[in-house]
Amino acid sequence: MKSRKIKLSIDSDYDNVPLMGAVVNKLCAFISFSDNDSYATELCVSEAVVNCIKHAYGDNPGHEVVVIFCIDKTRLVIEVCDRGASMDPQLLDKRKHLALEFDPEIIETIPESGRGLPIIQGFMDAVTYSISDNMNCLKMTKMLKHN
Amino acid sequence: MEIIDEQIDSVMILTIKGRLDASNSTELKTKISSLIDENKKSILVDMSGVDFVDSSGLGSLVTCLRSVAQAEGKLKITSLQHNPKNLFETTRLDRVFEIFDDRKSALKTF
Repeated sequence: MKSRKIKLSIDSDYDNVPLMGAVVNKLCAFISFSDNDSYATELCVSEAVVNCIKHAYGDNPGHEVVVIFCIDKTRLVIEVCDRGASMDPQLLDKRKHLALEFDPEIIETIPESGRGLPIIQGFMDAVTYSISDNMNCLKMTKMLKHN
Repeated sequence: MEIIDEQIDSVMILTIKGRLDASNSTELKTKISSLIDENKKSILVDMSGVDFVDSSGLGSLVTCLRSVAQAEGKLKITSLQHNPKNLFETTRLDRVFEIFDDRKSALKTF
């Protein structure tokens, strides 16, 4: 099966994130993902888009966030890209479990934020970050299960 | 997102409908803050109508839990749907919040 690809674009406004999520969820259903995997994929894309709006664009609307959804025989690859401030790529290593490590008995140790990347890394099989031609892209790969 | 509040005995029940995500998570924090100001500090959040939660939604619940605890109150959660429940478990927040399967069981514990 040759790869199939769709490119989606929204303005950097939080109100647009559910729209992107709904489209991604439908695309996952189209490629026969289970409800659980469709939900998880929507969640990962939503987290990545929110990170673009919050960190790359500083909560400011009027900027483009691009999501590229690409499927082939063996894997789903989703890229979430912006042209704002870049993330430190090392955060992918540092954040992996940071927000998930706390003492549940001590309420002050429980982080209020920082769970986005760990959630993405928990569900996806591979997550990488690249900066090229002023474009930042978070690339998320999910290997497909074949019966 | 829609938040419907009702009071049963001393417990304020907040029923949330829709998504709890980055686009609306501050609404919940504002609501809980106003309840604390009114000295209503026994709060049950009914999530039966919430079909999507993201990390911002989780973060807002943690903020609310802290605020209520600082006011020496209780915030508990009931009736999580399957996928949001999985997210609580994945992020280990199921160890932080008191989570009940149904309202009746939850109300008995206040």
